[in-house]
Amino acid sequence: MRWRVVQQVARTAFVEFWRSPAAVFWTYGFPLMMAVVLGFAFQPGTPPPVPVAIVDVPGTSALYATIQSADRLSVELLPPDVADQALARGRVALLIKFDEDGPVLRSDPTRPEAELARLLVERALHDAREGGIETIRAEVEDRPGSRYIDFLIPGLIGLNLLGAGMWGVGFNLVQMRVQNLLRRLFVTPMRRSEFLAGYLLGRSILVIPEAIAIMLFGVFLWDVPFRGSFLAAFLVIVIGGWTFTGIGCLCASRARTIETIGGLMNAVQLPMWILGGTFFANEALEGPVRWIAECMPLTHVNRTLREVMLESGTLLDVWLPLTALLAAGLVAFGLAMRLFRWQ
Amino acid sequence: MSASASNSPAIELLGLRKVYTKGREETVAVDGLDLVVHRGEVFGLLGPNGAGKTTTVEICEGLTVPDAGEVRILGRQWRNKEDDAIRARIGVCLQETKFHENANVREVLTLFRSCFESGRSVDDALALVSLEEKQGARQKSLSGGQRQRLAVATALLGDPELLFLDEPTTGLDPQSRRQLWNVVGDYQKAGGTVLLTTHYMDEAQQLCDRVAIVDRGQVIAIGTPAELIRSLAAEHFVIVDSRQSPSDGDLLAVPEVVAVERQEQRLILTVESVHRTLPLLLQLFSACEFAIDGLSTRHATLEDVFVHLTGRRLREGEGA
Repeated sequence: MRWRVVQQVARTAFVEFWRSPAAVFWTYGFPLMMAVVLGFAFQPGTPPPVPVAIVDVPGTSALYATIQSADRLSVELLPPDVADQALARGRVALLIKFDEDGPVLRSDPTRPEAELARLLVERALHDAREGGIETIRAEVEDRPGSRYIDFLIPGLIGLNLLGAGMWGVGFNLVQMRVQNLLRRLFVTPMRRSEFLAGYLLGRSILVIPEAIAIMLFGVFLWDVPFRGSFLAAFLVIVIGGWTFTGIGCLCASRARTIETIGGLMNAVQLPMWILGGTFFANEALEGPVRWIAECMPLTHVNRTLREVMLESGTLLDVWLPLTALLAAGLVAFGLAMRLFRWQ
Repeated sequence: MSASASNSPAIELLGLRKVYTKGREETVAVDGLDLVVHRGEVFGLLGPNGAGKTTTVEICEGLTVPDAGEVRILGRQWRNKEDDAIRARIGVCLQETKFHENANVREVLTLFRSCFESGRSVDDALALVSLEEKQGARQKSLSGGQRQRLAVATALLGDPELLFLDEPTTGLDPQSRRQLWNVVGDYQKAGGTVLLTTHYMDEAQQLCDRVAIVDRGQVIAIGTPAELIRSLAAEHFVIVDSRQSPSDGDLLAVPEVVAVERQEQRLILTVESVHRTLPLLLQLFSACEFAIDGLSTRHATLEDVFVHLTGRRLREGEGA
């Protein structure tokens, strides 16, 4: 191996990178910004409380008082059907039921925080009963619709809509710009609205089969229930796909390099990955983080899909979030139209 | 189209200027360029890389906004609510365009055809550039020449009145170049106008009715290739390879020798007529008892015109 050749190749690669401000920012600047933001977000301090629910039946008031006074637990007293729904949606990590034989702790141990919730509740109950307590029984939540896998599948559909919609449009548009294809189209009588609408239409249609495939996979392989309206589910997928392709289009409207679009996509997608309610319920979040999560389209796609798949949701039940998603897509598309550059 | 627009020249450029700024560094790409291209002619912009040819063409195509000057394309102006009308009447072949890698030839043409209200059919365009047999082939399986013909075909789909070709044959093999020349020739015969940039002399001489030689953003000569070559003191060159040669004075004393250039052991004599000068030159070498290792003659080209005007070659670092 000739060292001078290796040296020159390395030098060229370094210079090529260093002279591209976009590449430098998205490689060094963006991760540093993320480190600062996440550093502030996860400052050492009191950990957030673990949400649990007590099924509201006669005779549970003492239990409620006990759990409420325990450290690190936040407790709600909920009617039986609402309590089941809260567990299914991941809004609470554990349900406490009370019968003549004592407390029963119900959770899906595969859910994040479920085991922590169980240990904290058990400790609270032990501490409350001097001289011991009757046996605390644990039940595994295994009813279709309330398991973690049931929670996860709609989230994965949402995440797929996000990734396919944004990357499919954003990356390809910038590649077309880099390869001069957009310049070439610009010198034809094609209007930017025609181009963008056509491109969005093509990519939005592409995300539908992917989403349906994940849904069918969940239903047939994991017995994930489908209790709501097929039309509503289809519209969530179509409108969710449209919204994310619109956002992808907006990200790509002015980016000149692959590095820039890669960085922009990560900047937009990463918070949604973390806070969008795919892997854990963002309804348990509090403060500004909750507000940020509520502003994310992925939150509403996931929530609406869960409502339609797991809770018999109809079009009437989900029209509001669907309208909001449609509006978000329209705003993104409108901005992309204004900002879009061919070259 | 208004009467003034239909009777106007295909392209009128007046006092065109474009400066690119990067940081504190300014590069003048086009510096007060004036040009008129008439309808029905193939007009060549000839010049070295960086002369301002592509910037000029991109201003004409509406891709670049000039800092100063007037631009009229088929009697219309860009950014004057006439952009769509201009784009519907022009065809553009950029210096380099990569179409969708996984789209086949017919699909690419169908996409571009959809942009125009009227124009040629995809089949016609395929036939024009002889790509009928490749219509199902994807981009990645096309040769450089086929890709370039496809690019020209996309430019012809709107049946344009004016065709812009920016270095259309750069990097192509001789056969592919000739195929493209035929396409341009056929287009002109059908009444089309072409603005072509190139740094190939033979291409300009073969294709262009008129040529503008551009250097440092300005037109330094304009005319038919023959007129430009005739503007030289003489139109022929005699090239003699010899280790010893007569003095410049002796050579210039030979009738019709108008200039002498020396390149190591090579003499390049500019002469008015080869058949009268050559016997006299041979006699001179014989009288001096200098051996001739090689002898050739050639007609002057546009390259010689450029060298004569600027003292530099069109393609610095390459042979003539």
